Amino acid sequence: MLSQQILNGLVTGSVYALFSLGFTLIFGVQKLLNFAHGATFMAGAFIAYYCTISGMPFLLAIGLSMVATGVIGIVVDLVAFRPLRKRGNAEFPALVSSIGVDLVLISIAQQVSKTQVLNFPFGTFPVKFFNFLGLRISLLQIVILATVAVLVVLLIFYLKKTSFGRQVRAVATNERAAALLGVNVQSVFLQTFFIAGALAGLAGVLIGLLFNSMQFLMGEPYMLRAFVVVVIGGLGSVPGAIVASLMLGVMQSLTVAYLPSGLTDAIIFTLLFIVLLIRPNGLFGDANAVAGGTRQ
Amino acid sequence: MINLYYAYQPIIDFFLLSVGFGYSQQIALRAGVFSIATAGFAAIGAYAVAILVTKTGFPIVGAVVLGMVIAGGAGLVLSLPLARLRGAFQAIATLAFVQIVISLLLFAEDFTGGALGITGIPRVVNTGVLIFIVAFVMYVMWSIGRTGLGRIFDALRQEESVAASLGVNIGRYHAFAFILSGAIGGLFGGLQSLYVFQIEPHNFGFAFMVNVLTVVILGGRTTLLGPIMGAAIMAILPELARPLAEYRPAVNGVILILVITFLPNGVGDEIVFWFRRRRHAAAAANRVKVKEAKNAVTSS
Amino acid sequence: MPSLHLEGVSKHFGGLKAVDGITMAVPPGEITGLIGPNGAGKSTVVNLISGVLSLTHGDIRLGGASISTDRADIVARQGVSRTFQNIRLLPEATVLENVMIGFHRREQSGLMANLFGLRAALREQREFRDRAHALLERFGLDEYAEFEAGNLAYGHQRRVEMARAIASEPAIVLLDEPVAGMNDVESDELATIFRELANSGMGLLLIEHNVGFVTRLCKQVYVLDSGRMIAAGDPHEVTRDPKVVAAYIGTSKH
Ligand SMILES: Nc1ncnc2c1ncn2[C@@H]1O[C@H](COP(=O)(O)OP(=O)(O)OP(=O)(O)O)[C@@H](O)[C@H]1O
Ligand SMILES: [Mg+2]
Repeated sequence: MLSQQILNGLVTGSVYALFSLGFTLIFGVQKLLNFAHGATFMAGAFIAYYCTISGMPFLLAIGLSMVATGVIGIVVDLVAFRPLRKRGNAEFPALVSSIGVDLVLISIAQQVSKTQVLNFPFGTFPVKFFNFLGLRISLLQIVILATVAVLVVLLIFYLKKTSFGRQVRAVATNERAAALLGVNVQSVFLQTFFIAGALAGLAGVLIGLLFNSMQFLMGEPYMLRAFVVVVIGGLGSVPGAIVASLMLGVMQSLTVAYLPSGLTDAIIFTLLFIVLLIRPNGLFGDANAVAGGTRQ
Repeated sequence: MINLYYAYQPIIDFFLLSVGFGYSQQIALRAGVFSIATAGFAAIGAYAVAILVTKTGFPIVGAVVLGMVIAGGAGLVLSLPLARLRGAFQAIATLAFVQIVISLLLFAEDFTGGALGITGIPRVVNTGVLIFIVAFVMYVMWSIGRTGLGRIFDALRQEESVAASLGVNIGRYHAFAFILSGAIGGLFGGLQSLYVFQIEPHNFGFAFMVNVLTVVILGGRTTLLGPIMGAAIMAILPELARPLAEYRPAVNGVILILVITFLPNGVGDEIVFWFRRRRHAAAAANRVKVKEAKNAVTSS
Repeated sequence: MPSLHLEGVSKHFGGLKAVDGITMAVPPGEITGLIGPNGAGKSTVVNLISGVLSLTHGDIRLGGASISTDRADIVARQGVSRTFQNIRLLPEATVLENVMIGFHRREQSGLMANLFGLRAALREQREFRDRAHALLERFGLDEYAEFEAGNLAYGHQRRVEMARAIASEPAIVLLDEPVAGMNDVESDELATIFRELANSGMGLLLIEHNVGFVTRLCKQVYVLDSGRMIAAGDPHEVTRDPKVVAAYIGTSKH
């Protein structure tokens, strides 16, 4: 029973990872919080749903939805972030304008879906279960775990080994210096937003499949989870986000199973709060990132 | 006139409550704290009043005052750990605070009624009461603005290191800002309880947070006029944009983006700044004239 | 008025010894100079004294009591004031407001008086306003009182910062390159003000690249190079010291 809960938690946690990676990547390069990330996730699920019911093959629908949410990411950067970055300290204004984009996307989705809960048609994904060492695992769960693992490995490879990855890390470390070295900062931003959007979109589709229910506000709880993940893993840290997502997924599935219902959120957010206080740079980040040693 | 009032009464009351919550949000932002905790403070005030009044028969005025004190205390408690955090981290921590409050309200069903909330709260607050209390809060905000406190808040927002170099205890003044934000948020939360008859945790979620933030972003973060303008626009807009009623969140979103991009100080603050600049320009022109007159006298 | 003493003060940034075991004094009623080539560690000294940075070694005392672990605001409240090399004003506030915040240390009225606009608080504000106007006049800035500080010319911004720093009549004022970028007339005007302040009993620490300016004003000059104190004493002698000449020539790009 316990191991079954852990397995289920890992599956949910891996989707959290997919969702949170983009969020933390954007924070890493821009030091800005993208509140539209939850709505991008929801858009991914919606686009895949409408493509599927209009007869498109499911895989194609997923691909299309990822491209579309990637483009949404780019639009977020162009509309909400870029004009503010020009003005200097954009931390708070960007939070506000990304909430603006979030509202627009949610409002459109609400009208399109007429506030209904959507379900993928039966058979969109084969329902199949395996029994394995006393655990019950569905084909969908296996596919999710495998997909996320492959994407995470690809992303890490991309960031560590390619020239684009070097540019991303240069911008994350010091935007001004990177620009002086000839890195096209704007294009790095656009690419990270595209990747972040596409990953969020895919996460939306996977969650839509996993719980077979989608509605226009579905992004909100995931957005809040992403805050927990990125704080625990260290804002801007890719490996931190992955570990923290899996931890959060497992923790959540255990608290739901073994503690009085309704306490899960209180525990998760109290944990977030405590981590922020003790180690604002995350459990896996540098505890003393402030260089120079200021007096407190 | 009277008929007009009855027709628009709900809008006016909504406007007054928004102004109150707006000041709670504004005082934090003015002091350079990226707090979005107002929703949590409002929830605390609202539930404190609802529980005290419906379950213990506490006198209503006492309940409102106590709700305000509890929410102000929550602000103080919140400010202590937050002293080390800045910017995005403050925003996330205060967001977590709101989530904790909401999830505890959902959990403690015996006291709070869980997701169904509390009903049967006496409806004793009317437009007159709201106007009176908004006026009182405005007086306090006005006083802050013309004494040293407002200047310190402004300094903390613009350049913390300067404030510290002049002897400002940053933690202490951030705590004041949190206490004020908490007390004002709790006060209006309590009033909302006594206005709407029924409250539930969901009232104080993400949508509440966005609305309060919108009021202050639209209106302005530093002037008395800010939240009034912001709340007025929020109250009147749906009336003007009837055809777009279904897309109201989208309209709000577009307005947020446009205002923060092109009018970052907010409509209310910009109006006040414009008048201020005009007054100063006139004063400067006057000084030049006086000087010229003096020169003319001495040279003749 | 108390004097300021640094004893064996060091500041390491990782492997870099930005300040390396320096000992110096800023006595009241005098202007003390601190010179040295770019990157010598002068601003770091100011940051150490004013409580922005923590010390690696050593002690800083103000009139006998150690302030070396006090937070910046506590140092300021004990009467140590400063300006910043890269000017830091409150850009959205008016010039007058910028100076008025300088009186914070002298504020007596309590929180309640501020919240409810009680007479005590308002009277205090009026007094600060009058004194701020007087200061602005002294710095030749009165006609800019209602300007947004961020829109002022560079030289004027520097002067606003100085007026703010001395508003609360601190015991010690640390001036980090206060006349940088000013012409001779302007810097002479400021020199006069500096002398007046010293005569009134304040202790000034003047950081400046213009050696002539320092020589004219200071009784005592300290020379930093790569974090180490390479000379100290009478300005005329110090500037002839071969080590000092070498330090300047060695790093000069001209
Ligand atoms: N916060 C910091 N972290 C790391 N190194 C620093 C920091 N502050 C200063 N330094 C380094 O310490 C050294 C001394 O710097 P400082 O600013 O004190 O020099 P300075 O004498 O004021 O120079 P200048 O005349 O250019 O103003 C420099 O090498 C600088 O790069
Ligand atoms: Mg310097």
